[in-house]
Amino acid sequence: MLRRTFALLVLFFAFPAPPSRGSAFSIWELGARSAGMGTAFTSVASDGSAIYYNPAGIGFQPGTHMQMDGLVVVGLFRFFPSSPLPGTVVPPNGFSGSIRPHFIPVASLYITREMSPKITFGFGIFTPFGLAANFTNFHDADPALTKFTGRWAGTRAHLESYWFQPTASYRLTPNSRIALGIAYVHTHLFLEKSILNPRGDGLEFGREAANTIFPGVDQEQAARVIARLLPEGRSRIAGTANSPAFNLGYLYKHPEGKFNFGLMMRSAVTNHLSGSASFAFPDNYPLEPFVGPDLLPKAFPSQAIKGSFTTPATYSVGVSSAALKKMLISFDFRLQDYRRFASVPLNFSVTKATDPDARTPAEQRLTFDFRNSYQLAFGIEKPLNPRIELRAGYLFDRSPVVEKSVGPLFPDCNRHGFTVGSTWNSGNMEFTFFYEAMWFVERNINVAANANLGTNGDYENFAHLFGMALRINRATKHK
Amino acid sequence: MQTGFGRFATAFSLAILSLGFAQAQTLDTTTFVVMGEGLAAGMANFGLSSIVQNKSFPAQIAAQMKTAFPQPLIQGPGIGDVLGYAPLPVIAPKYPQDQVRIFPAQPDPNDEAPTLFVLNLSVPGMKLADSVSRRPVSPLIQRDSKQTAINLILGFPSLILNRDVPLWTQFEYAKAMMPTMVLVELGYFEALDAAVAQDPARIPDPAAFHATYSDIVKGLRVMQAQVIITTIPNPIDTAYFMPPPVAAAILKAQSSVLLQGYNIAETDYVTRNGLNVISKQLALRNIQPLPPGSIMTAAAASDIQRRVQALNTEIANVARESGALVYDLNSFFHRVHSSGVTVGTTKLTADYLGGFYSLDGYYPGSTGHALIANDILMFLNQSYGQSFPPLDVVSILKGDPMVQLNIGSGPLYSAP
Repeated sequence: MLRRTFALLVLFFAFPAPPSRGSAFSIWELGARSAGMGTAFTSVASDGSAIYYNPAGIGFQPGTHMQMDGLVVVGLFRFFPSSPLPGTVVPPNGFSGSIRPHFIPVASLYITREMSPKITFGFGIFTPFGLAANFTNFHDADPALTKFTGRWAGTRAHLESYWFQPTASYRLTPNSRIALGIAYVHTHLFLEKSILNPRGDGLEFGREAANTIFPGVDQEQAARVIARLLPEGRSRIAGTANSPAFNLGYLYKHPEGKFNFGLMMRSAVTNHLSGSASFAFPDNYPLEPFVGPDLLPKAFPSQAIKGSFTTPATYSVGVSSAALKKMLISFDFRLQDYRRFASVPLNFSVTKATDPDARTPAEQRLTFDFRNSYQLAFGIEKPLNPRIELRAGYLFDRSPVVEKSVGPLFPDCNRHGFTVGSTWNSGNMEFTFFYEAMWFVERNINVAANANLGTNGDYENFAHLFGMALRINRATKHK
Repeated sequence: MQTGFGRFATAFSLAILSLGFAQAQTLDTTTFVVMGEGLAAGMANFGLSSIVQNKSFPAQIAAQMKTAFPQPLIQGPGIGDVLGYAPLPVIAPKYPQDQVRIFPAQPDPNDEAPTLFVLNLSVPGMKLADSVSRRPVSPLIQRDSKQTAINLILGFPSLILNRDVPLWTQFEYAKAMMPTMVLVELGYFEALDAAVAQDPARIPDPAAFHATYSDIVKGLRVMQAQVIITTIPNPIDTAYFMPPPVAAAILKAQSSVLLQGYNIAETDYVTRNGLNVISKQLALRNIQPLPPGSIMTAAAASDIQRRVQALNTEIANVARESGALVYDLNSFFHRVHSSGVTVGTTKLTADYLGGFYSLDGYYPGSTGHALIANDILMFLNQSYGQSFPPLDVVSILKGDPMVQLNIGSGPLYSAP
């Protein structure tokens, strides 16, 4: 049974789906049980997702366990620009940033095995960081002013950070464990945006061509006209990185559950990306017959790129107690040093130095300057009977995204998540589900420097999260 | 003839229409394109040349809005046929006209080249129907002077480029420029042509006019451009058509000489051509029957005015249907006709040689263009909540020869 289930799970993970958006790009709901408790799980860590929440928790799980968690996110993202270009057609319900299809699955797999009374091994595959944004609510052939206003800052983004983490837990005392997980992190990043913004990079081209196209006209005024004669292009950047990471945990559990205390630290990861950049431009723009069809393809050739960015470290501390009416109450405080995510440098291999026709720069730096983020999580769990447990929780998530970086890639706000969940135990199997309603605090952005990017305005978001887990338990007989 | 109340009602409805749209629209002046005929092109004094092109009201508006407005500047003596005179044959340029199109000056004269595109697409003689059908045709210089003008304005330098480039109609050209703001001044030539020829039937059928105008404005609005369309001035309000007392004053003659000597009714109009013929006859003291086109009867004038008003009604309808704004150029011309304009200490009138119009009698001089520009700027400020500064008309007036013209002194001509 276990072998067959494992085979199915491996098959499932061979085709992982893109993860959803988290706080900036963190994902907390990687275990159905923990998510039902508002993710306040650092001092609980009583199922396979302990490998993610607090790896020391696997040391308190005798026997062999396999757990598969599935999360489905339905994100509803809306943007109402405050200063669209004159004449811009803004949909009555704002621009939608919801990905299609609306249901984004995220899967995790955890296996733990008690090797001896002192040592427990585990292995987890999970995605603590992910992003899926899609503001392409238009077709390239649509009139420019009916398109999403912030497309110059981004139209689509995907970030998937898969952690493959073997973990070992060691019993320090009968009531405490420490653990270390060494992870192999595979990251995939994809960014897409429109280029040749008539109020941005298109102006640079306009200035360069001003005296040729409109001699005798004020350069800046001419540049603005020329910039509107350029086609709106798309740039796509995709790359992958493989990096090491580690995860530390400590967990103390009172024998009767009166007081539990947990610490967890997940390392930052610097991802060195290798990939490619491609550019596309529509035909039949007004200037094309005059400048020739190959001007822009030569200026923006597809090419290999390199880049890097850092995902933050996570520090968690949690306490819990089951002393009150057999009800497990837990609380977590987490800190993520998102300040590491300051910028994403992208280095192009074809520049003006190597190709006189090329206009791709040696380096383009996407600057975000995130701030540190923290979360407060609170959860309760109450056994209804020996077979059924009920849960509820609350999660406050402070957005790391600073005002100037709020846009289509990170339409982020502080969040309030309210969760409910339940587990049904049947023999050696546990079935768990949860639901989370995530309110995003409405965010109004008005940053002067973003005016030309079209990202100033109101961001109104909401997300539904559903999750299920199947956990299979088998006792271990120690000799 | 339109009554005072009718004119008031039209102006009032246009004002209401304009205000209604103004509340919901904002103006982006980045790419300001003008589709027009001789008036917007800056035609004056029997031809289109850089002298008045540079002072044309669209150019003045663009300067005040601080937006690019490359024009197809033409060397003097200029191009274009003059209504009321037989068309002149098109001849190859010769000294002092060499390249015809003026190239912007460059530090190194060898670098001088024409602008690749122009944004004032107005062509003398351009009719509304022409704006969607007439396009440049090679060779550059044609026997048809209107085609030559189209070539030099819409087809230059495209016609001489060694590339397969599009040759756009005026409407196609305007769309290709990805405009944010378009001013459409079309229909005046049709009205002038009919009035000068005294053939009201030349004025287009309102339904057909509406259809073409609507296609143009909707085509521009689809691009989210702000479109300002001007009503058609009444040709009878211009200096080309003078009541007998005005003509008599210019001729230094008593009105009775004209009324009785030429059998003109008091309600008729003496045309610019008629004025010239009469002046020669009076100088020779030899009154003879006047050639056709010298006098316009009140009935014909009324018919012209009625038909022009019908076209203006269609313009208002097009604006309402498509979300364009209407600037009432007709009312402005009428105000000048009725009461003149005072600039500094100088009173300009709509009379021939009165300072507002140029020597052709129906297109304004530099000061007239500046006054139109200021009125449109004020309209834009009110409609879009802008604060474009007005032009200093006094300084323009000082350099305008049309304002320096004076009626000669001496005794009145009394009888042959």
